[in-house]
Amino acid sequence: MSGLKALPFAAIAALVLGSAATLASLQGGPGFGAVRIGAWTSWPQIGNSDIDPYARASIAVDGALPLGSHEGLAFMAESDNSGAPLDARCDYVIAGAAPSARFWTLTAYDVDGHLRPNPANRYALSSAAVLRGADGDFVIDAAREARSGNWLPLGEKSRFILILRAYQATTSAVGNAYSEMTLPTIARGPCS
Amino acid sequence: MSALLSNRPRFARALRLSWTDRALGPIPWILGALFGAVAIHLLTILALPTLWPTAAYRRLALHLPLGETVLLPRPDAASREPTFADPFAALAVCRFDLSQGPLRLRAKADGDHPFSVSVRLTDGTIIFSGNDRQTPQGAFDVLIVTQAQADALDAAQDSGSDSPDQNAASDASVDPLRLVSPGLRGFAVFRVLALREGDYDAAAMARSSVQCSVEKPAT
Repeated sequence: MSGLKALPFAAIAALVLGSAATLASLQGGPGFGAVRIGAWTSWPQIGNSDIDPYARASIAVDGALPLGSHEGLAFMAESDNSGAPLDARCDYVIAGAAPSARFWTLTAYDVDGHLRPNPANRYALSSAAVLRGADGDFVIDAAREARSGNWLPLGEKSRFILILRAYQATTSAVGNAYSEMTLPTIARGPCS
Repeated sequence: MSALLSNRPRFARALRLSWTDRALGPIPWILGALFGAVAIHLLTILALPTLWPTAAYRRLALHLPLGETVLLPRPDAASREPTFADPFAALAVCRFDLSQGPLRLRAKADGDHPFSVSVRLTDGTIIFSGNDRQTPQGAFDVLIVTQAQADALDAAQDSGSDSPDQNAASDASVDPLRLVSPGLRGFAVFRVLALREGDYDAAAMARSSVQCSVEKPAT
């Protein structure tokens, strides 16, 4: 290949490779600095000006409004504690201690970030409304069919994501003391 | 024939050079393509947050009049923006453009509903966030300025003339916070949390004390 004949090929290759690298980098979580606790993952740096360019791009493409560091911390789960992807054809038990926060909510989303239609029009549970045992721990049933007690409807689409938001978390993103943070476990039950 | 035979090493050497040339010839183009790919990757990553059509600023704040605070619809299964919205959170948004003057944010939490404020640039970078437990009586008074406006405010205070900071201090019980923004444009998000599902309307009402107003620049 000689002279300028190679230029268009090189330009197209650069465009394709560069765009593919950008698309690949936007898959998965927003940027670097992920903190994993059990099935849950958080990206604390997205809540302040230390956010990296990849996280900024990922959040812009998602169209999300992440929490600021002093607003709270959001933890996302795409799989249960055994590592299997969350699937609404199965029932899940989300149980354990509440995160150290003034208030928390647990919400189910489609993989594209939309709330999941369900007959009860209930999309989330909050710490103020959840029923607890004598020790303060809670058990939430996430399932398509109605359950007594703490029921989080999952809707019909199979793949889903859970987000646990710890508002005004006492272990803040500023402190970086995540090892002391307790989060509930996600256990898969029977599947239909 | 003998002349041709005597030239064979020269032909062979020429053939080898030709193969070497062919092998090495594309390398500059391959390196150029890789360099171009890295440049395109970095440029797109840096440009996406401000140019992507579904980015929060473009969808929620770009077309808001300055100084106007807008309550976002309650999230449900039909909502498309913002994504990953918390159904317990009532959100209000206002836009700022510091080329038109500093922006003052005022808010007062009702004490019953967790409340927070965040200030974001057009690319989504959060330059400030705070919650009602961090301020006296859950009140916020934030003046967002550029560095030049901050310098002008300091000069005005030194000379004893009225400034937006002094005006705020005179009519509010909370110390005003001055926030120097690294960007001219952005938006503020007020977040009020309903404690229970049926509490959402009350939470939205609690936000009624939220205000965004464009201040007259210090002269």
